[in-house]
Amino acid sequence: MAVSLTKGGNVSLSKEAPGLKKILVGLGWDARASDGGDFDLDASAFMCNAGGKVRDDSDFIYYNHLKSQDGSIEHTGDNKTGAGEGDDEAIKMELDKIPAEVQKVVICVTIHEAASRKQNFGMVSNAFVRVVNQDGGKELARFDLSEEASIETAMIFAEVYRNGTEWKFKAIGQGFNDGLGPLARSMGVNI
Amino acid sequence: MNELSRGQKGKIADLGAGDVVEIAVDLALRSGQSIDVSCFGLDEAGRLSDDQYFIFYNQKKSPEGAIEMQGARHSARESFKVNLSRLPGKIVRLVFSATIDGGGTMSDLAASHVGLVLNGTVAARYTFTGADFGGEKALMTFEIYLKDVWRYAAVGQGFNGGLSSLLKHFGGSEIAPKGPSPAAPPPTPAPAAVPPPKVNLGKITLDKKGQKGVVNLDKRGISEQSMHVNLNWDNPNAGKKTGFLGLGGSAPPPDLDLGCMFRMADGTMGVIQPLGESFGSRHSSPHIYLDKDDRTGASTDGENLYILRPDLIDNVMIFAMVYAGTANFANVNARLTLKNGPQEIFIPLNSPNPKLTFCAICVIQKVGNTVEITKEEHYVTDHGAADKKYGFGFRWVAGQK
Repeated sequence: MAVSLTKGGNVSLSKEAPGLKKILVGLGWDARASDGGDFDLDASAFMCNAGGKVRDDSDFIYYNHLKSQDGSIEHTGDNKTGAGEGDDEAIKMELDKIPAEVQKVVICVTIHEAASRKQNFGMVSNAFVRVVNQDGGKELARFDLSEEASIETAMIFAEVYRNGTEWKFKAIGQGFNDGLGPLARSMGVNI
Repeated sequence: MNELSRGQKGKIADLGAGDVVEIAVDLALRSGQSIDVSCFGLDEAGRLSDDQYFIFYNQKKSPEGAIEMQGARHSARESFKVNLSRLPGKIVRLVFSATIDGGGTMSDLAASHVGLVLNGTVAARYTFTGADFGGEKALMTFEIYLKDVWRYAAVGQGFNGGLSSLLKHFGGSEIAPKGPSPAAPPPTPAPAAVPPPKVNLGKITLDKKGQKGVVNLDKRGISEQSMHVNLNWDNPNAGKKTGFLGLGGSAPPPDLDLGCMFRMADGTMGVIQPLGESFGSRHSSPHIYLDKDDRTGASTDGENLYILRPDLIDNVMIFAMVYAGTANFANVNARLTLKNGPQEIFIPLNSPNPKLTFCAICVIQKVGNTVEITKEEHYVTDHGAADKKYGFGFRWVAGQK
């Protein structure tokens, strides 16, 4: 059964899905029905070393850099409006292919140009981010961005991290005030 | 008190306890022009599937009274009282909206706010100004909705297309299924899209004396303004025989007359009624006329009076009189319907006086750019008595049909 994540919730899913190997992080939302700027939500991933920073800029997987060098992480592409059912953006991860120096992958969700468009997750209908175990297709966790992160514009959603020979998933749900650029910089990306 | 920003959501229980929530909406344009505020009660699909849950100036209460417009309260120009425990289960979302009729957009809003009030205190407030908006003429300001528990949201989003776009957003249209169903060998054509449910904005009933309906004449061409007044009634004697052993033949059916006393803005006065054959005039002042003299009530049409130029009137008093047949109002179920375009005002004569044969049903008055219809249902002996009450000042002589 999928765990419903709430704000501040910190959940380890190792019991839910021991031996995670292939996961999909899905981001979905409804296209804007009212008049005004489109809601453009973006999923991103940071492959981090033991110090919690990217090894280099190519460890930052996002709409302008869709695949990691080793092929372990792949982003399905930028959806700028939320049009379409289900996951509007997704990041797929094959954990066995992740190089040894990478200790964790941090998954984030941001609203493009949130400050200038004056938007936050609460304004977006049915915005969610979820994690699916691709071995078997079971949804492990889901976070309702519209309800639980209503006044946020960016969020560190979760970490997938090494634990011995295994990978584990930890939900974080921590808001971040300044958008993708400053978020990436805080992860060591040169922007 | 929590200050909410646009987009902010939360659980009502986190603000305070109680089943009764008031939503105090205070909006005005910088020009001083007023804004219509309403509440849409939506179902699970986000649709206004029952237009009795569109609460606005002409329909201030939902059928069971769970939602009610209460006027100015809590430092706001308008407020809604919602009893969450009395809301029918099908209504799960209440959207408090504002629309601008006429010039201006929401970017012209002066400092405005929506307050969520629990137990008499404002527990949370969403403040906003025109700077937050652009070309919107309709705005969803705030909503409360049921998602496991009751929640609130400061919405602050709207539509440039105004009320019609807002209604479309809440009505939607059924999407025709794509292509043939897999089981059918010959492809079946997709059914035509069902048009969105029509929200009847102006169909109201004036149940009690003193209740008013308002027709807005703004922005309408002269030809669209005409008011059609219909009087209809039942024939309680249909099929009944009179006399000893029922051999006396059918009782004559009741004959009711529709008429009016009018005063135009230019001072012209008169009476229109079948008695004395004053059927009025269509193409010249007062542009008020009677359609026909239905002496039986058997006609499904009843009697019809038309006010073609409500913009020229000052005051019109619509009356009904009873003549032959079972000559009293108590058993004919008389009712008046006023129609103006899609708007309909229904006035039942629901507290009849069996002893009096003249009823002043309603008064129609021009007030600025609107026409106000007030239910009177005032029973008197004759024209003279009615005239005395309503102050026209005619000279009355006996007449007959």
